[in-house]
Amino acid sequence: MREDKTLAQALESRGVSRRAFLKYASYVATLMALPPSASRVIAEELAKARRQSVIWLSFQECTGCTESITRSMSPTLEDLIFDFISLDYHHTLQAVSGAAAEHARTEAMKANKGKYIVVVDGSVPLKDGGVYSTIAGITNLDMLKETAKDAFAVVSVGTCAAFGGIPHANPNPTGAVAISEIITDKPVVNIPGCPPIPEAMTGTLAYLLSFGKLPELDAKGRPLAFFGETIHDRCYRRPFYERGMFANSFDDEGARKGWCLYKVGCKGPIAYNACATLKWNGGASFPIQSGHGCLGCSEPGFWDKGGFYEPLAAATAKLDIGVGAAAVAGVAAGAAAAELMRRKKSAAVDAANSKKKDG
Amino acid sequence: MDLLDFARGPALQIGLYVFAFGVAFRLASLLLLPRLKDLSAARKGAPGAVVASGREIIRRMWPQSVYAEATRFTTINGYIFHLGLAIIVFLGTPHILFLKGLIGVSWPGLPTNIINGVAVITFLSLIAALVHRLQSPVLKAISTANDYITWLVTMLPVATGLLAISHLGWRYETLLAVHILSIAVFLIWFPFGKLMHAFLIFLSRGTTGAHLAHRGAQL
Amino acid sequence: MRSHDAADCCADAVTGLAEAVLSEIADLLDQFAASGAQSSIDLSGLPMTDADREKLAQRLGRGEVQATLDVAGQTDVWETQYAGVWWVRHFGGNGQVISEEIAITHVPAILLTHREDARAAAERLRKACEVLEATTAADQSSAERDSIHA
Repeated sequence: MREDKTLAQALESRGVSRRAFLKYASYVATLMALPPSASRVIAEELAKARRQSVIWLSFQECTGCTESITRSMSPTLEDLIFDFISLDYHHTLQAVSGAAAEHARTEAMKANKGKYIVVVDGSVPLKDGGVYSTIAGITNLDMLKETAKDAFAVVSVGTCAAFGGIPHANPNPTGAVAISEIITDKPVVNIPGCPPIPEAMTGTLAYLLSFGKLPELDAKGRPLAFFGETIHDRCYRRPFYERGMFANSFDDEGARKGWCLYKVGCKGPIAYNACATLKWNGGASFPIQSGHGCLGCSEPGFWDKGGFYEPLAAATAKLDIGVGAAAVAGVAAGAAAAELMRRKKSAAVDAANSKKKDG
Repeated sequence: MDLLDFARGPALQIGLYVFAFGVAFRLASLLLLPRLKDLSAARKGAPGAVVASGREIIRRMWPQSVYAEATRFTTINGYIFHLGLAIIVFLGTPHILFLKGLIGVSWPGLPTNIINGVAVITFLSLIAALVHRLQSPVLKAISTANDYITWLVTMLPVATGLLAISHLGWRYETLLAVHILSIAVFLIWFPFGKLMHAFLIFLSRGTTGAHLAHRGAQL
Repeated sequence: MRSHDAADCCADAVTGLAEAVLSEIADLLDQFAASGAQSSIDLSGLPMTDADREKLAQRLGRGEVQATLDVAGQTDVWETQYAGVWWVRHFGGNGQVISEEIAITHVPAILLTHREDARAAAERLRKACEVLEATTAADQSSAERDSIHA
């Protein structure tokens, strides 16, 4: 619901001071790679802002993205975002509320027309009229279009919403598509990942709240602050790549010594994400640090890139029966050409001989 | 499907088909050509065909002393970029992985920094080859489109590979895709242009050697 | 590379960034001393290793002022041995450092009390006084009652 109190007033009663805003602002500035001077502006703007109405739609998804953003049980600085937003509708969290939840959604849309943010996790199936995923009898397609109509912006959270993800993987039986293929008349921010890094979600929302505009995005609609560099570029194992020190399997000497995982299928060089710097679970680790190559889960079609354990350098093209057939066809065509030459030659010899006879 | 997926999949697959067909066609059409039998008796003391062709192949690895000065640049520069290409293709780790994906066997590679250094030398050597071709009046006069296209399709993988490792210009995945696409182009052009010399050079030198030895040339 | 843990190998490395940051701080401190221009450096945004950070902290040392704040997790602030150069270290949940900066200023903004906080506090204090008065009054009246009953 829309509230008239500013965030500072709302939090004041709970004993949260302006210092908390300043601290949160320096956290966001660091996350978004903004100059330290920006944090004062963010703090002022956040304090003045009203709680941001957020409608969270869950379509073809596994709830991993919601798990990721709500992972922390203890209220910490990182969780202040939940005080800054008013989560008016969250399909998964409100599943048992039925009609009341749907009512809350339409109420929030009415009250915050043109100002609310729609967060979507999950892709939308288009095949057969979209019957493969419905909520309260409404297809995902209809609900997305209706809800996004009066939104200020749409945030696609997770690779399914951002790029189609796993439902979109071959052979894509439900005709799943990314949100950006449906919503074309509104700003759409993609925060991909399977799941996305929580800080990438909360940082982007905080930025939207403070500046009232989208952060700088890359060509795939991802905030550059989190998706501006590849995992490979920021990987602590990068020196091993340069020195040619690789793990050849998951239990060899190289793997135990923590060498580069490029040969066992790491997609770090083409995966744009912040795992190598922000890491996971409060900075505990990230896949490569735990000994597994990057799957490239923040990239479109990551499921269909020829196998997680196939090195990036290996082609998905193969020396298949077709290549053999092409070679056989080549030999046949070559033999035919040679035969043609033979005939031409013997015809010429015959002609010369008969000429000699006649002469 | 993005550009990289297209390059790693369909583009390379088509490249492999064309390469296999073309090379088989060129070799079959050449080897199955009717040849006049040499009815003459071999000169006394002439070596057999195998020995003679082997000798000629080795002898032609380096120019005769009378030509040494005139061909010094071509010989040395030629060796540099040929060896460079071989080191990059067969000892660069990503390339070994690429070949392993196709033929199933692999071998140890060299550190990335060394491969990068070799690639820079190869790049400069290829540039030098083109400059030499354009500056030498004779070479220029006998050069055809085939020569320039062949130079280009050899240069492109080296240049795009260098760009990809140094992250210059586009983003890495785009550079990698372009690099792989340049390999597809290389494979397609290979059988029909002068790149085919990789298969034919020792065949023709060997044949020449056997022929000349049969006639009594002291090689 | 002999280390068995690759993470250690890189976290231990001294890259020379500490020296670079130090000379940047010296420049900024010159400006602050000359014109009062305040500035700050976001350490979290720099690719410093733990060893680099340790080195920088050693070089800057500790000065006269140290403060610990309890603001949505802990925050440590101290003035270094160079007056006007402050180190601000924010912790998040799990005691992890989430943001760290060097502030070249009179006093870091996070230590100052915001006027709005003061206004809210004044309101609370006023209320507390009222409650105190009310309870004192109530105590008095009940005491009077007790005395009548006695």
